[in-house]
Amino acid sequence: MACGPAFAQTGWQAPARFVRPELSTDEGGLWSLMEREETRLRRSPFSIRDPRLRDYVQDIACRLAGEHCPDVRVYLVQTPLFNANMAPNGMMQVWTGLMLRVDNEAQLAAVMGHEIGHYLARHSLERLRDVKSRAAFGQFLGLLGVAGAVGQLAVLASAFAYSRDQEREADQFGMILMRQAGYDPVEAGKVWANLLLEIKARPDGDAGRNSPMFASHPSPESRQETLQQLADASPGGVTNEDAWRERTRPFMREWLTDEIKRGQHEESIALFNRMIARVPSQADFVYARGEVYRLRARGDDLNAALADYQTAVSCGGEPPETHRGLGAIHRQRNQLPEARASFQRYLELAPAAPDAPMIKSYMEEAGT
Amino acid sequence: MKIVLTVLLMLAFSGCASVAKVETGERAVGERLAVTLDSAWNHIRAPGIGPAEIWTMEGLPVDQLLIYSGIRDGQAIHVERAAGSGSQKSFSFRSGMQPDEIAAMFEGMLTRDGSRFKLEKLEPVTFGGGKGLRFEYSLTRKIDNVQLSGIGYGRVSKGELFAIVYMAPRLTFFSRHAPSAEQISRSARIKE
Repeated sequence: MACGPAFAQTGWQAPARFVRPELSTDEGGLWSLMEREETRLRRSPFSIRDPRLRDYVQDIACRLAGEHCPDVRVYLVQTPLFNANMAPNGMMQVWTGLMLRVDNEAQLAAVMGHEIGHYLARHSLERLRDVKSRAAFGQFLGLLGVAGAVGQLAVLASAFAYSRDQEREADQFGMILMRQAGYDPVEAGKVWANLLLEIKARPDGDAGRNSPMFASHPSPESRQETLQQLADASPGGVTNEDAWRERTRPFMREWLTDEIKRGQHEESIALFNRMIARVPSQADFVYARGEVYRLRARGDDLNAALADYQTAVSCGGEPPETHRGLGAIHRQRNQLPEARASFQRYLELAPAAPDAPMIKSYMEEAGT
Repeated sequence: MKIVLTVLLMLAFSGCASVAKVETGERAVGERLAVTLDSAWNHIRAPGIGPAEIWTMEGLPVDQLLIYSGIRDGQAIHVERAAGSGSQKSFSFRSGMQPDEIAAMFEGMLTRDGSRFKLEKLEPVTFGGGKGLRFEYSLTRKIDNVQLSGIGYGRVSKGELFAIVYMAPRLTFFSRHAPSAEQISRSARIKE
């Protein structure tokens, strides 16, 4: 990435706010399509409607987008994968799997800044026109008529990755936006370094098409290196870690549960290892790792799960499910008094749990 | 992209899938499971689906009854992708699974596409002549945001999993066909 730091010093200026394109143009068709998608997203049960969290993340986007702020509309989507994207009409999606994984506001700003970079450079339109220019596609789509063609092109364009050059450009714009908003650009490289830990933990070591972002982006290794070079050119800035932790705390337990349910045990353990290393006394993180060990149940996993559950209890404020996990392991080991006591504690903490009838049957089995 | 994939899937199915009526009365599913039907269902047959038999009243993807008969230790409960074609997690049965782990396995399988699952109830029941589990759930399907309701029964016998899972849109269809799915589940007999 020889052009990186040099580019960052060229004094790039964001373009003026975009005017809504004519519907008869290809760009107008693309906007129209995205507006329909936005309507669907607005009504989606996967959208997080908590106004405080939504306003908080919207504010981060606004700080990054500058004068484009009124045109950027952030939607938080409950999906446990690392992803964010931005449509040419200003609709931005931020998935909960990304919010779970960032350590602070600056890291989220790095990813959002990158997506705003794509938006400011109108890369989606470039992609659309690139696809459109292909003769074979042109002939095929000509059969569909103008309106149909624009829609079909948009769908097809979405199947094509941004080019590497577009990705580099978005990285560079994103870093500039981060700096302008006062965030520490060093955090951008950390996002990818952290994600690499998860990727390397996968049994196949596959870099992963598991995350939609990997399907179209440069490898995390090269991205981390590039961003580090860009950050070195102008260090300094805030991370706002405390604010991030405070604002996301009410949602963390639910996001951790979603991550556990993904069933990607190795990735989840790598993620939770990192989170525990950062905040060792957080019972939710330790419980989450223990739960993944219990569900994986390979080799020494049950011992590891037991240790984590016990640590979570000693930290205090553990989720009720910690005691259910303890009970399950004791039950498997035929340690019936311990199983009964743990299940009892679970039901005391979560009397309306949906699995209460099953847990009560376990307790009856265990006797008095 | 989802639209394109759905169309391709529909085309693929239209060329390869077949539907056979499952008449009322006693029906064997696999070597060790038998059920009794009070009403007729439709059995979807297509290459590459399994290991569950898929039955439906209204047609896919509206409602589906999945019948698992004799899933072995280590066997996945869904169609596995070819190696290298993707990194979606496989959800496999382990013969030592506890009831809550079996329910969690089905939860994982049903949410592989990003759909959202909520366990509503997990309770012990008699299934197939022995001690089993029953669970109720709601599912928000990722692809179209449709809210579904579902029920599942399961039991491990001789290290093999037997299970029946039914789901349908919460509005209209679930209440219409869940009683029939319950009746089939309660009629299940597993050869010991």
